[in-house]
Amino acid sequence: MEERVPQHVQNIVIRDYCSKKDMQYLLSSTEYAMKNSALMLRQLVKNLPSIDGIVAYSIFQMPEDDVERQSIFNSVLLLKKEIHFAVEGLYLYDNDTYNNIENIWQVKKTLPNCNFLEIVKN
Amino acid sequence: MDFLSKNEKILENEFINQGFIIRVAANKDALNKIQKFAIDMLSRKGGGSLDNAHKNISINELNDFRLDVIKEINAQPWLREAYYKIAKPYLDILVGNELAMQSRVNLSIQLPEDDSSLLPVHADTWSGDSPFEVVVWLPLVDCFNTKSMYLLPPKEANHLSNDFKLHVQGNSEELFNAIKNDVDWIKINYGEVLIFNQACPHGNRVNKESETRWSMNCRFKGLFTPYKDKKIGEFFEPITLRPVSKIAMNYKLPITE
Repeated sequence: MEERVPQHVQNIVIRDYCSKKDMQYLLSSTEYAMKNSALMLRQLVKNLPSIDGIVAYSIFQMPEDDVERQSIFNSVLLLKKEIHFAVEGLYLYDNDTYNNIENIWQVKKTLPNCNFLEIVKN
Repeated sequence: MDFLSKNEKILENEFINQGFIIRVAANKDALNKIQKFAIDMLSRKGGGSLDNAHKNISINELNDFRLDVIKEINAQPWLREAYYKIAKPYLDILVGNELAMQSRVNLSIQLPEDDSSLLPVHADTWSGDSPFEVVVWLPLVDCFNTKSMYLLPPKEANHLSNDFKLHVQGNSEELFNAIKNDVDWIKINYGEVLIFNQACPHGNRVNKESETRWSMNCRFKGLFTPYKDKKIGEFFEPITLRPVSKIAMNYKLPITE
C-alpha cells in the first residue's frame, strides 16, 4: 500500500528480524510486481503446513482488499502458524493480534480521509 | 463555541502558554510498578537507590545497561498500558480519548558529569515528528536543575522559529547559547508526570547535580490526526480505538449493482 523499499533492503531487515528473534530464515520469496498481486503470498500460505510461519517486510505489503487480506490472516490462524512483520515488529498468531493488525490497517486506510490540510482548505 | 469545563480550560491554558503541564500521576500503582522494575534491574549492578546508580554503574557501561533495561522493560506486556494510565486523564483533555501510542517506551539515565548521552537542543518536529504528538515524560526520581530537562516556552519558541535563519550556519551548542536564558528547567518529583509540547525546543545538559536522573518518555497523538515520518504500525499503535470508529472503518454502502 504505497510502500516501496528496495528488495535487498527488505531482505536485510527480514534477516535481521529473524536473527533477533532467534528464528531460522529458510527461503526468501518475492511477490510479483503487478499491482495488487498476491500470487506468491497465497502460494506461501498454501505451503505453510511445512514451515513455522512467514516473515514479511511490512504489514502494508498484505493485500489492500479487506476480504483477501483477512482470508490470508485467517488461513494462518487456522493452521496455527504465525505471520511476522519485520518493520513494525508485530506478528499475528491469535485473535487479539489479528484484531490489532486489522485495526492498524483500517486506520491507515481511513487516514487519507482525515487530511487536516484538506479540512483547513475547505 | 467552547464546551470545555473549567478544569479542562485550566489545563489547556497551562499547556498552550507554558508548553507543558505537570500533574500527579493518575495511577500510583502503575507508577510504582514501573519504578520497582527499574530498581530490580539496578540490583543486578549491585543495587542501591536509583538516585545513587552512578555509584554502581560507570559511564562506560551505562549505555549497554540502559539498552538492557529498555529491552527488558519493553518486553513486559503490562508496561505500555501502565504508562498510559499514569497520564490518561490529562491526555484525554490535551490530546483526545482516541489515541495512538508509541510502540516502545524510552528510558534515559543521566549519571552526574556524564557527557556521553546528551540530547542537544531540538524539537521533535524538526526531525520527522508530527506536531500533533505530545511527549509523556515520567521521572522515576525527583528531577531538578541540570538533573532534569529544559524546554523553551512557546512564545520564545515562536521567536526562535521566526529568526531561525540567523542560526542555520551555526551548531547546536550555539543554538543552545542563544536560548539558554529563556529556557525553563523542569522541576518535577517522583509521583508526578510531565506532558510537553515536543514542537518546543528542548534537551538536556551535563547533569551537574550529585544524583542520577532516571526518566522515561513516550509519544501519544490523536489516532486520526496527521502522521509524519513516525507512521502508524511501525512507530505508533492504536490503543483506545472507539466503537463508532471500529464500525465506521468497516462500513460499506449497500451494494446496488
